Amino acid sequence: MGFLLDLRIAFRSLFQHSRRTFFLATAIAGVTALLILLNALSAGVSETMIRAATTLSTGHVNVGGFFKVTSSSGGPVVTEYEKVIEAVRKSVPEMESMVHRGRGWAKIISDLGSTQAGITGIEIKNEPGFRKVIELVSGRLEDLAEPNTMLVFESQVERLKVRVGDAVTLSAQTTRGAANTIDCRIVAIAKDMGLMSKFGVFVPVETTRALYQLRSDTTGAIHIYLKPKFIPDVTAIAARLRGQLEKLGWTVMDADPNPFWMKFQTVAREDWTGQKLDVTTWEDEVSFITWTLTVLRGLTAVLLTILIAIVITGIMNTMWIAIRERTREIGTLRAIGMQRGGVLRMFLYESLLLGLIGTGTGALAGAGLGAALNAARIHVPLSVQLFLMSDRVQLALHAGGLVRAALFITLVTTLAALYPAYRAARLKPVSAMSHFG
Amino acid sequence: MNHIVSVSNVSKNYNLGQVVVPALRGVSLDVAEGEFLAIAGPSGSGKTTLLNLVGCVDTPSAGTVTVDGKQTGLLCERDLTRLRLHTIGFIFQSFNLVSVLSVLQNVELPLLLQRALSARERKQRVLALLDRVGIREYSKHRPSELSGGQRQRVAIARALVTRPKLVLADEPTANLDSVTGTNILNLMKELNQSETTTFIFSTHDARVWAYASAVVRLADGQIQDRVSAEEAVRAGGLPTGRPA
Ligand SMILES: Nc1ncnc2c1ncn2[C@@H]1O[C@H](COP(=O)(O)OP(=O)(O)OP(=O)(O)O)[C@@H](O)[C@H]1O
Ligand SMILES: [Mg+2]
Repeated sequence: MGFLLDLRIAFRSLFQHSRRTFFLATAIAGVTALLILLNALSAGVSETMIRAATTLSTGHVNVGGFFKVTSSSGGPVVTEYEKVIEAVRKSVPEMESMVHRGRGWAKIISDLGSTQAGITGIEIKNEPGFRKVIELVSGRLEDLAEPNTMLVFESQVERLKVRVGDAVTLSAQTTRGAANTIDCRIVAIAKDMGLMSKFGVFVPVETTRALYQLRSDTTGAIHIYLKPKFIPDVTAIAARLRGQLEKLGWTVMDADPNPFWMKFQTVAREDWTGQKLDVTTWEDEVSFITWTLTVLRGLTAVLLTILIAIVITGIMNTMWIAIRERTREIGTLRAIGMQRGGVLRMFLYESLLLGLIGTGTGALAGAGLGAALNAARIHVPLSVQLFLMSDRVQLALHAGGLVRAALFITLVTTLAALYPAYRAARLKPVSAMSHFG
Repeated sequence: MNHIVSVSNVSKNYNLGQVVVPALRGVSLDVAEGEFLAIAGPSGSGKTTLLNLVGCVDTPSAGTVTVDGKQTGLLCERDLTRLRLHTIGFIFQSFNLVSVLSVLQNVELPLLLQRALSARERKQRVLALLDRVGIREYSKHRPSELSGGQRQRVAIARALVTRPKLVLADEPTANLDSVTGTNILNLMKELNQSETTTFIFSTHDARVWAYASAVVRLADGQIQDRVSAEEAVRAGGLPTGRPA
């Protein structure tokens, strides 16, 4: 009952000063909407990146590694991969699906040009996500099931000057250091997907084996896809898997947050032979572009700090004004028996209500604006596409994010009122008798 | 006889920068239950200061104040607030109603703070009291929609709704015209007699002494004398200082 009384007075006081309340609520709503949009942008970029990257070049967690025949020659190869897959299946209950891919780096030679590219060997029938991310310009994805076929991206087409149906030659060094070539037929051409598609082509996994003269029980890496709710835990899951593989007898490389192709030189310099496994996360594999996310998050944080400082100043100012105006009311309430806590709650509720109204409106506005921006399908400039791996940015608006943003700003507004409310509660009841105010 | 209020040798000094203003100087006063006591005195004589001390909204510089058997100097803020809530009712010169609450809610306020009665009991008691002070039909109005006399009736209802033993009124009629003021005093007197509530009210208006069971005359922060209403009226005027 006492609770209701504080709340009722707070509620009515808020609407008594409707202009002031309106302005503050609008400011809070604006900040909330902005917070939501900025977060949705960060999350959207991150999701787009993860989606593209995890289709093109990495799983959420990967088990790759290197096999060295001599201490100076070897390749990005996992031998007896079925055993590794078995171990992963037991050790990662968070897993949703798993694929394995061949890895390599080769020269591609056509009649009219040549280029260097990362070669990824896939089993197209096991890659359902591929279809969702890759946009074909010509050809058919299904044809990648046939041996010695190839999918290239538009930017490589420019260099190679090829069309679907043309033949190209892959040239590379085998793990034993001998030169080898394989002829492939272009079966699909895909739209560019940023930086990752500039230097990558896809072939059937048998083609990578044939190119590097590897046995059929080898692969390049095992890509592990997690159930969505576990994606934020990749680092912990990778660390755990690393330990478990070690326990099962594999030699596992120390965690190194870099893509596999940046590790060739280090591995080549090291003096060992045989198999070493390397457990990485998607962030490791695309670490050369994730700095964009860091920048985006940093900017969001800076902007947010400024805006929150403004909101806090606004709330505190308003509270001081309200307390000065209502000195006699506070004194009266104290004189007729309201405890200090009651006065404190009264002002906190006022700010809490203001926060809820403001952030509620702001959350709706932010969500609406975000949805409108998504519907408008705004294309991003080419330079951004390189990092984004997509030609447009989709804001990621999630109900949880909206609620969290609204609650966070509400908490801020309530805390901003804490000190003024405390001071109001300390006012002497005798101030009820004074005639000014 | 039981003393609801006992003021003993109380002094109160205000500090105005370097200057110490003595508002009360060695005041002693006993008030019996059921009294309708007027504190009379010219402006600046210390009436408000004395009522503030008795009402536990201020603390004396020296001396003791005992209200309903409790020495206020020994109580913590929380207990003082409880004493105000349960034992004392306040009527202020400028009404001091909560502007954002309706008449009914203003009167209900102390009951809500007490948390003793159910919603139905509260409403019943408030409406009965509003009826008693003659403003029941305004129960849903905001204070700003009422006249001064009506507002003071609301304030009286609020002061009485908890059935306090003691009601303090600081110049309850000063902001009212004389007819309304007389009505308000009649009402207070009536409630004093029917509920046997002790009233202490301050005034510098000699016309209202007639209502009092006794008049304490204050001047320059000291009690001049304590006389019956008849004596005070007969003596006429204020004991010392400027006429109000
Ligand atoms: N807060 C204060 N600070 C400083 N001096 C004060 C304060 N309150 C009262 N005084 C002084 O104390 C003395 C007594 O004041 P008090 O208000 O008790 O008189 P009063 O009898 O109620 O006068 P009035 O009839 O004008 O209301 C006066 O001299 C006044 O100036
Ligand atoms: Mg006074």
